[in-house]
Amino acid sequence: MLTFIVRRLLITLPMMLVISFLVYLGLELTPGDAVSHMIDPEVANEVTPEQLAQLRAAYGLDKSFIERYGIWLVNIVQGNFGHSLSGGVSISAIVLDRLPATLELSVFALLFSTLIGCVLGTISALRRGSATDSTLTVVGMLGVSIPEFFFGLVAILIFALHLNWLPVGGRLMPGDESFIDHLPNIILPGIVLSLMMTAGVMRYSRSAMLDSLSREFIRTARSKGLPEWRINLVHGFRVALTPVVVLIGFRLPTLIGGSVIIEEVFQWPGVGSEFIEAVRGSDYPLVMSIALMSVFAVLMASLIVDVLTALIDPRVRLG
Amino acid sequence: MSQQTALSVKDLKTYFYTNKRCNKAVNGVSFDIKKGSTLCIVGESGCGKSVTASTIMQLLPRLSRIEEGSITYNSDAGEIAIHELERDGAEMKRIRGSEIAMIFQDPMTALNPVYTIGFQIAESLQYHTDLNKSQIRARTIELLANMGIPSPEQRVDEYPHHYSGGMRQRAMIAMAMSCNPKILIADEPTTALDVTIQAQIFELMEKLKTENDTAIMLITHDMGVVAELADDVAVMYMGNIVEAGTVDDVLRRPRHPYTKALLESIPVLGRGRSQDIKSIRGATPDPYDRPKGCQFAPRCDFATDACNQMPAEEQLSDTHRVMCWQHEELKQNA
Repeated sequence: MLTFIVRRLLITLPMMLVISFLVYLGLELTPGDAVSHMIDPEVANEVTPEQLAQLRAAYGLDKSFIERYGIWLVNIVQGNFGHSLSGGVSISAIVLDRLPATLELSVFALLFSTLIGCVLGTISALRRGSATDSTLTVVGMLGVSIPEFFFGLVAILIFALHLNWLPVGGRLMPGDESFIDHLPNIILPGIVLSLMMTAGVMRYSRSAMLDSLSREFIRTARSKGLPEWRINLVHGFRVALTPVVVLIGFRLPTLIGGSVIIEEVFQWPGVGSEFIEAVRGSDYPLVMSIALMSVFAVLMASLIVDVLTALIDPRVRLG
Repeated sequence: MSQQTALSVKDLKTYFYTNKRCNKAVNGVSFDIKKGSTLCIVGESGCGKSVTASTIMQLLPRLSRIEEGSITYNSDAGEIAIHELERDGAEMKRIRGSEIAMIFQDPMTALNPVYTIGFQIAESLQYHTDLNKSQIRARTIELLANMGIPSPEQRVDEYPHHYSGGMRQRAMIAMAMSCNPKILIADEPTTALDVTIQAQIFELMEKLKTENDTAIMLITHDMGVVAELADDVAVMYMGNIVEAGTVDDVLRRPRHPYTKALLESIPVLGRGRSQDIKSIRGATPDPYDRPKGCQFAPRCDFATDACNQMPAEEQLSDTHRVMCWQHEELKQNA
């Protein structure tokens, strides 16, 4: 198992390298460089080309592309992402400030969608053809097809404004300290963010479960005289779990992409809303750093999914 | 019912219902399985062999049911009418696995790929015996050893994909035999295995039969297997047992044209390359559009007008019975 994880990590490294190169290339291809962003357009005419060259040399911008990429990479590995163009705050400080909120939201949505999706999908499969199954199928189709921000707005309208059960948005209220204190704040954005994924997981676990229940080892289990719950859960669900875990891994990027919008809708102070601001303000270094970090998150998530799959399905550990 | 009978099936009818149509998959079948002996059920695909087996275990799909007839199991505690038990009731669940066990055609798919062999054998013991954890483990290893699996202490913790096909079938048999069932139903247990492994599995089944006095119901379409293993044979065609008797009765003195045709369709070693292998002409009829009288009549060389009526079962001797109008003619012919 350990060799499996180590080998999987070694595969991830070159992938990270290639992606970081692509991200840096993207940054390079954006019009202008850091120096041209630094200088106020109003005084741009007064700056001599010599002064510009001097500034560029001071920032190392006269070096070749590959050389600069190397320096940038070393900095990033050391956790130094550079500075935001607007305000000049270090990017690591911005991200460290914003990341916990985003992680909290994503992990909540991930757990919620996995749990609810699997449970509903399994119930749907076990009662195939019943009214419950049909209802869940329709709800699932709606969930997959209606965009999240729409759900977000409707949820705010109903649960926050009309029923007044939950706060409209924001993360921390004055005086909030522990996680429990801001639990009401996370419920709406968390559930809305997870809706699409929940519906996907539900549809997928239903079909995986139906597939697994029609396999022959289920008949074997039945012929052993095992109780029904054990046939369905221990034998059926366990085998259906492998494809579901893989699906959840594939869907993680949508969760991260969705959080950008949902954070904006609910004024959740996470990386996603910062990302939108950065895009609006053409803050390229910040946009690139956040993009790089989401890529990193997705790669790590897929690593975790692979390890989980190997844990669940012994056949994966082969070789 | 005599004490020597393990299971007695009388006039069993199992029907399948699809789209308001009815498939009479098993249409009036009677047989006995004796303790410590093997009953082979032979027939082409789709003749109702497997459905008969599933009916005995009450493992039928949802849209099918026992229409008529009785299945009586002779347990140590007296006779149990299986056909009267609730399909997934507690009593049926107790009988499955502990009193009547089953092994399947393809050990590749019949074992759950994500659990160790040991776990899957232990499961039966856990639900049907009072053994504690360490006793269950010891018994599991002992079972694997009895089935001829090398170094069972290590093999017990391995997954099905670590096992070869033959070993998987041994593990299946170990699982089936874990609670010392009185009856073992084997549904084409060697069809998916190669020939040398087949022989080993049959040897193992013979051993179980003599050592544990287990009654075996073996479903096969291989007449060679029948000759080797069977004590009694029942030939099925379109949901009926058309001929039944001891292995000598059926293989040496077949009185039903279908049995005869089946036997003539097997190539015989030593008769050379140009031997005349007779295939049975035509195909099995559509179960929804059956012939009127004798089900085999349209494919039968001996058919006459009388065959438009369903023949009754005729007892030829104490053991031998046949369902055919022309059986006298076949006697002369043989």
